[in-house]
Formats: sequence, structure tokens, C-alpha cells
Amino acid sequence: MTKNVIEIENLSKNFGDQKVLEDINLTIKDNEIVAIIGPSGTGKSTFLRTLNHLNEPTTGKITVGDVTVDAASYTKKQVQQLRMQSSMVFQNYNLFKNMTALENVMESLVTVRNVNKKEAREIALEQLERVGLLDKKDAYPSRLSGGQQQRVGIARALAVDPKVLLFDEPTSALDPMLVSEVLQTIKKLVETDHTTMLLVTHEISFARDVASRVIFMNEGRIAADGTPDEILSNPTDKNLQQFLNINQY
Amino acid sequence: MGFDFNYMLEVLPTLFYASRFTFYLTLVSTFFGLILGLILAVINYYEIRILNPLTKLYLFVIRSAPLIALLYFFYYGVAMYSEFVRNMNPLNAVAIVISLTAGGFMAESIRGALLSVDEGQKDAAYSLGMTDGQLMKRVIIPQATRIAVPSLFNNVISITKMTSLSFVLGVVDVMGAARVQGSRTFSYFEIYGAVIIVYLVIIGVLSVIQRYVAKKSSEAY
Ligand SMILES: Nc1ncnc2c1ncn2[C@@H]1O[C@H](COP(=O)(O)OP(=O)(O)OP(=O)(O)O)[C@@H](O)[C@H]1O
Ligand SMILES: [Mg+2]
Repeated sequence: MTKNVIEIENLSKNFGDQKVLEDINLTIKDNEIVAIIGPSGTGKSTFLRTLNHLNEPTTGKITVGDVTVDAASYTKKQVQQLRMQSSMVFQNYNLFKNMTALENVMESLVTVRNVNKKEAREIALEQLERVGLLDKKDAYPSRLSGGQQQRVGIARALAVDPKVLLFDEPTSALDPMLVSEVLQTIKKLVETDHTTMLLVTHEISFARDVASRVIFMNEGRIAADGTPDEILSNPTDKNLQQFLNINQY
Repeated sequence: MGFDFNYMLEVLPTLFYASRFTFYLTLVSTFFGLILGLILAVINYYEIRILNPLTKLYLFVIRSAPLIALLYFFYYGVAMYSEFVRNMNPLNAVAIVISLTAGGFMAESIRGALLSVDEGQKDAAYSLGMTDGQLMKRVIIPQATRIAVPSLFNNVISITKMTSLSFVLGVVDVMGAARVQGSRTFSYFEIYGAVIIVYLVIIGVLSVIQRYVAKKSSEAY
């Protein structure tokens, strides 16, 4: 039996009076590729961010890898340990503007994980090669296209060999022309890597293509959860049907 | 009584020589102003309890009170209650007051620069497991510095001009030397014309440096 790499119990998140996540329970096994879909504003980003404690959960217990953080009581150290289990790829790339592509990929190795510079550099070069950007290693983010920045973002996420990769709409800030280079990069990862991935996306056909499991979120809850076939081809949930109708073309 | 060009040339060296106090005061006030400004800006940035409202009050006072009032208040007012201030020479008194003022102005520049670093940069740093200190050191300060440098340079130029008030406490800086000359020859047109020239030269040099630094920092990345 494969073991759970993510376990979420009774996770809720409020922003002021607004309930954004309501009582989410979920387990994700090693090697699963989970696509998260759902209407805008239903808490998909918030959910992903709580896994990284970028948003502090209001209640609930989150386990990633072998670190658990319970909203009822936790330490800074635990939060940092939790964050080090996973890597996040952001919608707006969020590369460090004051660092080159190579420095961006090296940064957490050197600063957070105390890997020596030489070794970190080798790892970073390897990862940049994987995303096809070795020739841009010395470029600052401002000199890279959106697609290139996002590929550096993916290399940065991969460099620390995380147990889980979290993608928050990695292509939705991109020009349509640049979407496919990033999707291809992710697809290649899915094929060659065995990292667990959570992928929030509006690209339904991409989800069908790469995901082993699809979660439909609606109004802060998990409204449907199953194989791509169950969720995307034979949806039973009313809201899901409606959502898929709108997103079909 | 016509314009005496030769007299003007004659007083210029005296005034330039007196500008050593201008440089000294600018340098000292910039140095301490930066330290104070950084502390105030960080207090404000992290909204540190108790200190933050005090910082705001301080900035409000510095922004509102005329420098000349602060100088008098410190050198004549505070002196009434403090032996230390009473025995202080005017140059140091001016350096202290202008440093305190510069700290306020520089705090605003630094604060703006710190706030200009976007949330996404922080998200990325935290998600990689960085601590607040590492985030500050590796991401926020480097990025904020680049933003702050041009406005800090403007602050330095303001400080340079502020130092021209030091003569009211008896420092014989450019304005002080001009006053001494004026009381002797009454050739105010030439003397204060020369004063303006001295400041144009000083500020002109600073502006050239500022433009160079601004260009460098905008090319950095
Ligand atoms: N920092 C915040 N402060 C207050 N409210 C927030 C914050 N972040 C998100 N929200 C609110 O929480 C709700 C869920 O937002 P979230 O970004 O998680 O949705 P989403 O499903 O990712 O939407 P989208 O598909 O548009 O990205 C929204 O109503 C949003 O306005
Ligand atoms: Mg979102």
C-alpha cells in the first residue's frame, strides 16, 4: 500500500467573517497527480496556500510528508519544517527580482538548507537544463518572458527535491502563445518524476491529460473527488456539470 | 555703487573654505540619519507595538516643525535643563538636530522602499522555508535599497541645504562666513550671489553623482 503524503483533517479558513474553506478532509497518496478545478473564488488558491502555511488555517490539522501542523497550536519551527516538505509554483512566478535565474534556483538550497555553493550550483544547473533554460542562467527575471520565468519557477521548486509540488494556476498569467511551453514542461515532469503534485488549473483538457485524480472545489468545499474519467467525463454533481459546460469549448 | 565682480571672486575662496562645515554636517547627518531612518522604517514596517505610534508621532513632529525652531528649541531650550547641551559646541548641536531631522525624512524614503517589495516575493521566500530574517536580508533589503537610493539622495541634497541654517547657532559655515563678510563690507549682492554659487557647485556635484547612481541601480536588474 502506498503511503499518504498529505493528510488534511477538518481544515477551515476564514478571512474575517468570510468562510473561504469549510471543513476539508483529504488524503493524498504518494505519486498522485491531483488536479484541482472549480469556479473562481471558491478557495482553490487559499487551499493550496494553507498547505504551505502561506495562509494560516483557522482550524484543522495539516500533514505534509512527515510534518504535521495543527492550527490549534504550533511553533514557527513546525511551520518552516512543513514548508520544506513541499514546493510551490505561483501564478505570477514570484521569482526573486534581485537574483539571476541560477541564483533563484540556488537560493533555498544555500540559504535555507545550508548546501554549499558549489553543490547548489550543480543542482541548479541540472534543474535549469531540465526546463530547457540553461542558456538563460545568468539572466534576471526582468529579462525573461513569462513562460521562461515560470519554467525557472518550476526549476526552483524542483531544486529542493520536494515531496510535493504545488502549482497554483501556473499558466493563467501567460500569453496564450506561451502556455504550451509551460504545460509541456509540467507534463514532462509528470512523466519522468515521481513527485506528488497538486495542480490548480483552469485547463480542463490538460487536467484530463496528466492527472490521476481530479478534485472539484465549490464554495470552499470539496464537491467531487475521483478519477479524471469520473469527474470530467461522467460528472454527477450538478454544480460540476454546470462548471464543465461553461468551461467546454 | 556698482557690481564688484572682483570682490565676489575674493569672497568665493573664503566661502568655499567655510563649506567644510557644510560637508561635515552633511556627512555626519547623513550617516546618523540613515541609521535612525532605518530603525524607524523597520519599526513602522513590522508595526512593532508601542514603538510604532511613537515613531509616527516623531515623524509628524519632524515634518511639521521648522528646522530653525528645532535648532533653537534644542540649543537654547533644552540647554536650560541639560548641562550636557549647555556645554555643547554649536557645530555638534546642529549635527544632532539635523541628524534627528534627516532620520525622519530618510525613514519615509526607506519605508516607501520596503513597502514597494511585493507580496509575491515574500510568498516565494516563505514557501521556500526562509525565516523573517533571511527574507529581510536576501530579498527585501536588496530590492528596497535599489528603490530607496534615488530618494535617499534627494534627502542628502535637502540635508545639505538644511545645514545652511547652522549659522543661527553661530557656526561659521558658508552662510556664517557670508554674514561676517556682510557686516564688514555691506556688499550683500556680491556676497550672497557668491553663496548661491557655492551651493550650486556643491549640489551640482551631488546631482551628477545621483544621476550616475540612479542609472547604475536601474540597470542592475
Ligand atoms: N488575503 C485575503 N484576504 C481576504 N480575502 C481573501 C484573501 N485571499 C483570498 N480571499 C478571498 O477568499 C476567496 C477565495 O479566494 P481564492 O483566491 O482562494 O479563490 P480561487 O478559487 O483561487 O479563485 P481563482 O480561480 O479566481 O483563482 C475569495 O472570495 C477571495 O476574495
Ligand atoms: Mg486562485
